[in-house]
Amino acid sequence: MTKVSIEVNVNGRTRHATVPPRMLLSDFIRHELSLPGTHVGCEHGVCGSCNVVVDGRAVRSCLMFAVQAEGAEITTVEGLAQGDDLHPIQQAFWEEHGLQCGFCTPGMLATAQELLAQNPDPSDDEIREAISGNLCRCTGYEFIISAIRSAAAKLRERESETTLQPV
Amino acid sequence: MKPSAFQYERPNDLHAALGLLASGDDTQILAGGQSLVPMMNYRLAQPARLVDINQLSELNYIREDGDVIAIGALARHAAIKSSPLILEHLPIMAEAYDWIAHAAVRNRGTLCGNLCHADAASEMPAIMQILEADLVLSKVGSSRTVPARDFFIGIYETVITADEMLTEVRIPKPLPGTGWGFEEVAMRRGDYAWCTIVATLQIEDGKITAPRIAMAGVETSAARLTAAEDAIVCQTPGAALFVQVADAAAQAADPADSATGNAAYKRDLVRALLPRVLNVAVSRAG
Amino acid sequence: MSQHLKSNVIPPSRQREMPRAGLTWIGQSMKRVEDPRILSGKGGYIDDVAVPGMAHAAMVSSPHAHARIVSIDTSKAKALPGVIGVYTGDDMATVVDPCPSFASPPITQHPMSIGKVRHVGEVVAAVVAEDRYIAEDAAELVEVEWEILPANVDIEASAAATGDALLHPEDRESNVALDESFSFGDVDQHFADAHTVVKRRLRWQRSSAQAIETCGVVAQFDPFKGGYTIHSNSNFYNFIPFVIGGSLRVSPGELRIIPVLTGGSFGSKVFNHKIIILTAGLARLAGVPVKYIEDRLEHFTNSDSHGSDRLYDAELAVAEDGTFTSLRFTVMDDYGAYLQFGVGTHGNAMAQVTGPYQIQSFGMRVIAVLTNKTQQGPYRGFGSEVTNWVMERMADAAAEEMGRDPVALREQNMIQPDQFPYMIPTGNIYDSGNFQKVLAEAKSMFDFDGWRDKAKAMRAEGRCVGVGLATCMERSVYGPTEWWSLNNKETPGFTLTSTPEGITVRLDPSGKMFVTLNSPMVGNSPETVVAQILAERLTIAPEDIVFNYSDSQSGFNGVGPQGSRFTAMIAGACVSAAIKLEERLKRFGAHMLQRRPEDVELRNGTVAVKGLNDQEKPFGEIALTSSFFRLSFPDGEEFDSGLETTAVYDHPLSTDPAEDRSHLGIFYPIVGHICHIVAVEVDPGTGKVEILDYAAVHDNGTMVNPRTLAGQVWGGTANGIGTTLSEQFIYDADGQFTNPNFAEFAMPTANEMPRNFKLGHVETPSPFTEYGIKGGGEGGRLGAPSALSSAIEDALSDHGVKITSLPVTPPILRGLIRDAEQGATA
Repeated sequence: MTKVSIEVNVNGRTRHATVPPRMLLSDFIRHELSLPGTHVGCEHGVCGSCNVVVDGRAVRSCLMFAVQAEGAEITTVEGLAQGDDLHPIQQAFWEEHGLQCGFCTPGMLATAQELLAQNPDPSDDEIREAISGNLCRCTGYEFIISAIRSAAAKLRERESETTLQPV
Repeated sequence: MKPSAFQYERPNDLHAALGLLASGDDTQILAGGQSLVPMMNYRLAQPARLVDINQLSELNYIREDGDVIAIGALARHAAIKSSPLILEHLPIMAEAYDWIAHAAVRNRGTLCGNLCHADAASEMPAIMQILEADLVLSKVGSSRTVPARDFFIGIYETVITADEMLTEVRIPKPLPGTGWGFEEVAMRRGDYAWCTIVATLQIEDGKITAPRIAMAGVETSAARLTAAEDAIVCQTPGAALFVQVADAAAQAADPADSATGNAAYKRDLVRALLPRVLNVAVSRAG
Repeated sequence: MSQHLKSNVIPPSRQREMPRAGLTWIGQSMKRVEDPRILSGKGGYIDDVAVPGMAHAAMVSSPHAHARIVSIDTSKAKALPGVIGVYTGDDMATVVDPCPSFASPPITQHPMSIGKVRHVGEVVAAVVAEDRYIAEDAAELVEVEWEILPANVDIEASAAATGDALLHPEDRESNVALDESFSFGDVDQHFADAHTVVKRRLRWQRSSAQAIETCGVVAQFDPFKGGYTIHSNSNFYNFIPFVIGGSLRVSPGELRIIPVLTGGSFGSKVFNHKIIILTAGLARLAGVPVKYIEDRLEHFTNSDSHGSDRLYDAELAVAEDGTFTSLRFTVMDDYGAYLQFGVGTHGNAMAQVTGPYQIQSFGMRVIAVLTNKTQQGPYRGFGSEVTNWVMERMADAAAEEMGRDPVALREQNMIQPDQFPYMIPTGNIYDSGNFQKVLAEAKSMFDFDGWRDKAKAMRAEGRCVGVGLATCMERSVYGPTEWWSLNNKETPGFTLTSTPEGITVRLDPSGKMFVTLNSPMVGNSPETVVAQILAERLTIAPEDIVFNYSDSQSGFNGVGPQGSRFTAMIAGACVSAAIKLEERLKRFGAHMLQRRPEDVELRNGTVAVKGLNDQEKPFGEIALTSSFFRLSFPDGEEFDSGLETTAVYDHPLSTDPAEDRSHLGIFYPIVGHICHIVAVEVDPGTGKVEILDYAAVHDNGTMVNPRTLAGQVWGGTANGIGTTLSEQFIYDADGQFTNPNFAEFAMPTANEMPRNFKLGHVETPSPFTEYGIKGGGEGGRLGAPSALSSAIEDALSDHGVKITSLPVTPPILRGLIRDAEQGATA
């Protein structure tokens, strides 16, 4: 089948590629763009390991074709850290032991990123509900919930610091 | 687990999209893709051509149209769930969405795609039936409107033809004072339902009027429980009545056997959930 | 001690580092060393591996449970552009031999079927192509003609099957692969003397670990060197060359297995030998490096890691005063189509089969049955999760039959704190413990008495609320006699007895300490544990330690994370390495300080003169001088350049099974103890169970890192909750696996976990391991099913529902309630 040219902004960088229409976005990110941080766990849209943020929304990258990402802005786990500093959500996962094997973690981070952008101060039940579409087999979720709660506090603190400064 | 090859079309307007549907065999519409793509990854679906309608921003709306809430083909579940119009007029949809998949799936999936997929265990086909929604099916040069209750035929089967697209769902605003209830049992919240029961009704002079009840997950497609509706209309709500109605509905149900929820279990769920739904609906009416 | 145990002598302790208060690093909830690279997406899992010229494999899998392969036509598949080769089992057999088997006598398993298939998902052909998409296209074009054979799905029916229903007629004339009986102590006498014999038929059904990452391999064959280079996410990469070399027709030394970061195992990736052989064979046949990553469907149906699937007829002998005197059972286990690890899961269970109770004798008949399902492999508990549940179900049953309080009855029978080390009837010992303290802590944390009153009051209102309590053992630090001790005595098979764990430590001239591990990271915390222990023992800052993983050719002994062994074993290796390195550091440092070695000590990353604050040499300076300035030191090989040492730790306490199997020896002696208490509410109309409250107290000896241990407990408990309430592999009568996907195999999400989970720890150090550390990787799953079963039974006590089979998914539980209702009205 005819390949299709696409242009996608991934982690702030514009990427051009020519892909077969059937290439899943997850495979495109991992193997064409060489960003292996996005993980594939089930490839049928249940586990959430492949979640990435597309135009501000966490989505399953195994349920999108790369061609559909034409013109989109995508953030993967590789785009979270700023320089040498982990993103506050990553930092919180580290401090709270929100990961064990780390395979589900990039998807959890994408989900947490969207949640905290929409709801800066979620309750534990709201966190639970938000991550209920991400399977983790290691942690029992408790420390992931603690991590997202802690990340929310860090982000609120950062927000209050930045709003004090003139834009 | 990779999809087989297909030809990809990305029309920029509805007219072009409908033209593509009219022009080729074995073509599927790709909207949210949250049901279609898993089936393609398993190669249970192998369409020769996909018409991606995600560029059709003209279909991305939730709007008030007189007494009707109109939802376009590209409106995502997440947008509907949080829409002020829905929260105000159709809170049953907002509540039901807590039980439908998970946030990342709702971010992409569309209501119209969900209805066309017609999974027997999907909630919205039941809800559209009690809300008496009309479904607008468009094709090149014409369109027709089908009531939701006539749309679903069986498992993954609807009345839509290959050259048609479900472009809009039109949901009449419920009358003021309409009570509603939603109950579901699934293995985990977000899973496909073993049994969903939904109802709306009104109370006039202490009697139930305009009851509408539907279930999903039990039979081969979502269906109105008209016998139950007939049994409670103009009756005074009460525990004994609801238990009796639930018993009758459970007896009448024709469960599609599935590995994890056998027929007896499905009947038990109808029996357990129907009174709860009606009680909640009654408590909200008025 | 019973007569039969007299020959089982407990070796003296080899503990060098005593458990003690005032440790600096051990006991701290240090942030994990492993995390920053994982969190930033730079983990390096198996599917991240790419080698030049790599092709991709896809499998043609059997759609049938049991069928003869009449013919395979690969011509259409081969003709597809992008396809490098299409291979059948016969092709594969030209380069590889059957998989290794721990069963005795062995059962032949080809990595790719030859002649017939024995379960849905078994591989019959493979495609190697330029990419995975094309490979899957071609796999669809392979045409197989089948002759369907009868499918064996039910344990008891399969045990009696004959003719075409036999799975391995060439190897044996029955689907019973093993049938052995054991008696440890005076079982018959104890049952003859019993006041009450409690009998239950108990069923535990299969599920599996389903780590979020599947198994995968990247294999290269070099015909000129005559060997393979293989990336694999196996847990056991330093050992498998010895197991699979024969299958690959190379010597173990010609296999270079390179570890990767592994996305969860829980036992499911312990060996992975079949897909390593399969992928390596494809690489050799195709003449290119081949990557094969199981997709989720393949992982469900062909990954050889299904969990226990057992039917028990169990009996507990009880004296008039409630004393448990003997336990015996007949257990049939549905192992699926092959028997890769023999009945190792039953050998494992012998470590703690009598639970925390003083039971004097134990008898067992174990019948391993082959059926047309995917074969069993390890899953968190490796069989002991089932016997824990059996023991606790029997304790509850005894309480009910004797009209006793279930907790008081348990306390009456518990091993007392002054009885350790305690030898159980099978010959294994429990090194230490204080079960009473764990129980008291758990009851207090949970407000057990308050909850029992509350539940009773709620039941009086018609609600189905109940409380359940389980007191269970968590054996750790396994000895491999469990793999073969239950095999036929005359042909025990592969009689491995050692599980060493090695480490290499090098102090670099830069001042960094480079540590090489010989076991992979699978979600445990190997680097963090080692950093904490080396920091403790050598006073070096954890951030100065850098980690590497050896491959199987460059490394030393390593057995990996399994059997809750890694932390205790690597701690031993760290201590051994630290002793050697300390000696060299002191020798070089003392010379540089112009002192005698006995006058210096290690202090904050320096060699320092005892009693003097200002006379010290940093490790880095000593390493630099010793590495590059040999002439600054005296002659003699004790001053040879460099500060590097390799050390190994052997199992601290194990003995052989008795020749006559009157006991099984000491093989799993470092025991933890756990108490789980849970309150549940059952919706009797729907069968849904809601967890209202949960407390778990674990005693895993000295804790290295309380936070990571808590993570293990929570994670294991989540597994146990899934095992009990929602996870079930459903096979239909034709042997079709009906729910091999994450939508229908329902692992708990965050929504299904208890809202107010309380976790406590008691520390009873081991007298046998360094610092008193015990393993703690499996405990949650070893306790949760028992506590939940008990709570559900309590909640439904007014309905008379008994929990004798797991899982109890809502349809199953509702079915039990319906049966009870109909029984009550009949």
